[in-house]
Amino acid sequence: MRMQLGFPGRAPTIRTTLRAAACVLLATGLPAAASADGGASQLDASVLLYGEQGRANVVEPTVRVTRLFPDGQSLSGQIGIDVITGASPSGALPSGVVAPAPVEGQVQTVTAASGGAGGAAPDPGQIPVTRFGDTRVAVDADWQKPFGLITPVFGGHFSRERDYQSIGGNTKLSISLLHRLTSLTVGAGFNRDDVFPTGGTRLPLSDSTVIVGTGWNAKRVNGGIVGFSQILTRRWMLGVTGSRSVEDGYLTEPYKVVSLMDPSSGIAVGQITENRPARRDRRDVLTSSVYHLTRDVLYLSHRYYWDDWGVRSNTFDLKYRRELGDLTLGDSIYIQPHVRYYSQSQADFFTFGLIQGAILPAFVSSDERLGPLRTATLGATLGFKAPGTPGEWSIRAEYIRQFGKGHPSNVVGVQRDFDLFPAVSIGSLVVAYSVPL
Amino acid sequence: MTRRAGYRCGAAAGILFLALTAGCATVRPWDRDLLAQKKMSFVPNPMIQAVDDHVYFSKEGSTGGQEVGGGGCGCN
Repeated sequence: MRMQLGFPGRAPTIRTTLRAAACVLLATGLPAAASADGGASQLDASVLLYGEQGRANVVEPTVRVTRLFPDGQSLSGQIGIDVITGASPSGALPSGVVAPAPVEGQVQTVTAASGGAGGAAPDPGQIPVTRFGDTRVAVDADWQKPFGLITPVFGGHFSRERDYQSIGGNTKLSISLLHRLTSLTVGAGFNRDDVFPTGGTRLPLSDSTVIVGTGWNAKRVNGGIVGFSQILTRRWMLGVTGSRSVEDGYLTEPYKVVSLMDPSSGIAVGQITENRPARRDRRDVLTSSVYHLTRDVLYLSHRYYWDDWGVRSNTFDLKYRRELGDLTLGDSIYIQPHVRYYSQSQADFFTFGLIQGAILPAFVSSDERLGPLRTATLGATLGFKAPGTPGEWSIRAEYIRQFGKGHPSNVVGVQRDFDLFPAVSIGSLVVAYSVPL
Repeated sequence: MTRRAGYRCGAAAGILFLALTAGCATVRPWDRDLLAQKKMSFVPNPMIQAVDDHVYFSKEGSTGGQEVGGGGCGCN
């Protein structure tokens, strides 16, 4: 879901991927085979409709087929397609001047999708954005089989975009202890990703015109996880999970830029490509609780995250499943409100802009996702079984508001008058359906 | 918060967890009717959770949680 130019030569690869994905799904989900060996199959499908006000829009259908065998073994195959269009911030500051729409090579213009010049910001205080479009295809498969109290899981992943490819594998081992009241999980994962920016890889901290190569830039992600869950009472389960992942390689966002401000007026007089360290060490601790009230269920979780780029975050999540039907009659209809709050500190090398003429730092980025941002989410899920049909429906609608510190102290002149981190409103709708085959 | 403080936070969470679980009463197998329900899971709807993880991964600077690994998307 990056921004890029068209890449017509890659179209057959997507078709090949889809063909392979169809084979995976067919191989895992044949109903006839399920009835022959006494097992069963399950189909899960979902569609995400996602829209940011004035920015990106996403449609993401996903289909997953799971074969369940009598011995507890299961094999799953999944395919998902993301279609994304719209615009995202380029990282540049508002121009600060009233001017006609910029032309390529000047301030406010960055490489855009479909070959067009994007980033026009006629309003002097408007955050420049880049228009783009992309399609991502992702295929996942996993297998698991219980051996007494031990259950190993093996998974694989492949995804492809116009300028990004990922292939990876993961494994987890769950062990039940103390009369199955305690569960210990350990796991590891590896991803080999490649970034091949449209138009070539730009020289970091340059004016975007210097191409240092047209090949693929490797990015490796190795991770591990340790989890511990405990049944505390008949109604309460608690879990703590710690994970760590280390990214090595090309971690720079190839199309993001950093503005250069005039030292006195603050007007954006130029821009350079960003540059990030080639290594990132991420860690987090997730604490989760599930509590069954008389009929309803309360889900609570907190995640603390930190990395060696200086980003620290806290995520609080609350869901309350309210049963609406008569459970004794087998009714299954519920509504589940959801509240989430996320708060993040900025990365050490994040800045809204640089002063023209000053010494350039080794690493710098104006990507707002590395800035001091907050995210608040409010939503609800409605789950039900439609009369006369075997499957279960889930319809989830959410409103997300993302905002940050828009008046930093390290900008000058006219930039002090602008909100450099305007709030973004996001709406999303997920429709999911699960049915035995 | 420094890395050391992060470790302390993780250790504190672990100690709190152990303290909470150390004295818990045994839940007999015939008392696990509620716990056996699908909704009594940390992730009762994995597909919607996966959608959420993808959305927040693309919009925020953090990642992690229940799943191992990472990457897999050029969105961040």
